[in-house]
Amino acid sequence: MSVLIFLIPLAIFLSLIGLLAFLWALKNKQYDDLDGSSKRILFDDSTDNKENL
Amino acid sequence: MSKGISNCKHCQLKLDNNQQDFCCIGCAKAYEIIESLGFKNYYQIRQIDIFERNLKPEIDNDFDISEFIAKNPDDSWHLELMIQGLQCGACVWLIENILYKNPQVLSARINLTRKILILDYQGKASDGNKIISPLNQIGYKFLPFDQEIIAQEEKKYNDSLLKALAVAGFGAGNIMLFSFALWFTNVAEMGLATHQIFQFFSALIALPVIVYSARIFFISAYRSLVLRSTNMDVPISLAIILAVIVSIFQAFNGQDHVYFDSVVMLIFFLLIGRFLDMKARKKAFNIATQFSLLNASFARVDDNGKVKILPIKKLQKEMILLVASGEKIASDGIVIEGESQIDDSLLTGEIALKKVIKNSQVFAGTINVLQPLKIKITSAINSTILSQIIELINQSENNKNSCELIAQKLAKIYTPLVHILAFITFIIWYYINEQSFQLALMNATAVLIITCPCALALAIPIVQTIVISGFIGKKILVKNGEALEIINKINTVIFDKTGTLTQGTPVLKAIYSIENNSLKLLNKNDADFYLIIAISMAKKSMHPISQALTSSCDYKTFDVEVLEEKSQGLTANFDSELLKKILDELKDRHQIIDINKKILIEKDLKIWLGRSDFCKISKDSYQKELLLKNNDNYQQLTTFMKINQQQIIFVFDDKIKEDAKEVISFLQKQNKKVILLSGDNQRNVELVAKKLAIKEFYYEKSILQKAQFLKNLQQKNQQFMMIGDGLNDAPALSLASVSVSFAKASDLSKNIADILINSSQLSPLISLFIGSKKAFKLMKQNLFLALLYNLIALPFALMGMVVPLIAAIAMSSSSLLVILNSLRINNFFANKKT
Repeated sequence: MSVLIFLIPLAIFLSLIGLLAFLWALKNKQYDDLDGSSKRILFDDSTDNKENL
Repeated sequence: MSKGISNCKHCQLKLDNNQQDFCCIGCAKAYEIIESLGFKNYYQIRQIDIFERNLKPEIDNDFDISEFIAKNPDDSWHLELMIQGLQCGACVWLIENILYKNPQVLSARINLTRKILILDYQGKASDGNKIISPLNQIGYKFLPFDQEIIAQEEKKYNDSLLKALAVAGFGAGNIMLFSFALWFTNVAEMGLATHQIFQFFSALIALPVIVYSARIFFISAYRSLVLRSTNMDVPISLAIILAVIVSIFQAFNGQDHVYFDSVVMLIFFLLIGRFLDMKARKKAFNIATQFSLLNASFARVDDNGKVKILPIKKLQKEMILLVASGEKIASDGIVIEGESQIDDSLLTGEIALKKVIKNSQVFAGTINVLQPLKIKITSAINSTILSQIIELINQSENNKNSCELIAQKLAKIYTPLVHILAFITFIIWYYINEQSFQLALMNATAVLIITCPCALALAIPIVQTIVISGFIGKKILVKNGEALEIINKINTVIFDKTGTLTQGTPVLKAIYSIENNSLKLLNKNDADFYLIIAISMAKKSMHPISQALTSSCDYKTFDVEVLEEKSQGLTANFDSELLKKILDELKDRHQIIDINKKILIEKDLKIWLGRSDFCKISKDSYQKELLLKNNDNYQQLTTFMKINQQQIIFVFDDKIKEDAKEVISFLQKQNKKVILLSGDNQRNVELVAKKLAIKEFYYEKSILQKAQFLKNLQQKNQQFMMIGDGLNDAPALSLASVSVSFAKASDLSKNIADILINSSQLSPLISLFIGSKKAFKLMKQNLFLALLYNLIALPFALMGMVVPLIAAIAMSSSSLLVILNSLRINNFFANKKT
């Protein structure tokens, strides 16, 4: 049972990383334009986009 | 009489039969620009969004954006503009790539959801105009974006809801690690230490989730209590708080009844409901934003010989407006130079054009059709008729006919009931069963948790979300989800006439010849002969009647030199060779040709086409009989043609939509009262009403009278639907319980309407009624299912038998059931017939 002391915090820690990643994406406005982003991925970058998003 | 399908290569508008590839020079040029930049495959990948503005470039559309340029900290410039004409992702790709071709552009990004261009560039601030000008030429229209504050406010709420949902989801997932262990064992099996560690970790996850994610409910409940009313958030908040307190005590005492998992799951489910609700609303436009856009157009002003472009807000009395043909007039005023015809159908609902000469009064929002005009502004910009209408709507926005929604009704009964039940539970356990305070409190809490309206919160938003997206396939855009429910309570449906029940554009109805002061209906042969001559001439003219003529048939036209005398008519010389060609064309269509040979004798034939005085036809010779012959032709427009001594009349009318009758009788069968409310004259309205079997009709109603009529209905406590398209219907639309407009309606009406029909037809209304009925039935079923679960679980809670496991199962399975039940409505939308 003592292994739980190690495993439980590890599990929580890992999922916390996922949560933080989501919040980070939200903060970086990646959820601002769901319609546009879902389409944009389909088009080639024919010109050198200066933006690195 | 329909034409083959050919659309403009650029803007996809329907082409006239004499046009090839493009509908106008602007579109041809736009195509050239796109091709020369190497983005031609844009046309292959794009998908036209029928609800969006088309891409036809407007002349003189580019306004000065310099007022809206902001400086970045690194000395570059920042510009945010709203774009009209964004069709799909391909437009995003096109615009961004065109902008990046310009070396000055640092970053260009389009937000497709909010339809905004965000541009950063270097160089001079004034270069902004130059940078976006190729986009203007392609046909996109930019509008200043000064409603940022409202949008920010909305975004903040969206963001905080998403964050709360993410945190709750994280908690709900992870807390199960411990809950599963706790549900299936007890202290004796597990050992007190392990048991308590598991409970401790549950609390560790649950508490931050509750503090962070449940804020939304706490705040809403608090606001509601401050206003001395109650909503669903009150029992939710109370249940959450009590459950947490009880659970903490239980955990410290090594007991089993720890509800952390239930609470977190509850919050998660409720937030999903809120999220769906928000998504359903998202399509609804912010009226304030749209109003500002309506006002954000610009006008050209003559400033001592220099042309200045001013925002409409800055127009003042005594200024001289320059209005090109085809342009909207920006302010009320008096014509000081030029003669033209004005299309004021949006204001009055009438399709006949109004002639204006020097000193005629013109109104804001009407369209100048023929020739450029100079107009002196006579009233301050906030007192034009248009702005008065907008003011009227702003006032009536708050007066919108109210209708209590089923969820609100339920909350009113449910909330106190739940609290009373919980209180009774506590009393029974504490005083009658003489148990400990803690146990009594715990059982009362269990009642609150089990009755928590988790599935209830999902029941309605999930139906709205599914139905709104389903309706899009049926050419119906629902902007306001609540309308789906309110439609079912409608007992009166009010129609506007022109453009709603009728086509709103003149359609050729008959061709007569005048012989000895009487009218003779021409046979098909003769009619076609004159029609070909007429359309060959009319194709050169922009006059609405000419366009109605050309769109009346798909016959081949012939090239002939045409002289146009503005607002009078057209003249042309047809030589015998040309007439022969026309006869040959006719031979292909008809077996027998029997044209009055007299007219073919002369070599050169001069033909007049236009007003009766222009063709020198006296009114007495036809007027009486025309009225007689066309007594069912309610709105009559005519044009004349003279060939030699032959006098021809073309008669147009505004046709009733083909499916209007079907829709009206459907509504009447559903026991809805149908009312026709029009600004047109008595005769026209009476005829339409008679044809469609509408018993109640009102005519010659002004904008204010229309609104007043609806206000009177409101006072009679009626639930009514208003269907209209014109500017003159807008205030009435804003008063109705549910308002419906068309994709081609005036901007104002489109913005106000709860529901838009993307079709000139009326039959989507039938789908709307049937679909909404199904949706409402589903909502009621969902509420019933959700309540049923609560009802079954309630006795267990009262008896203190609800262990955390049962609470969790009851909660998630009822939510799941509600979701699955809602999905059934997709059958309706998959059925093409309805």
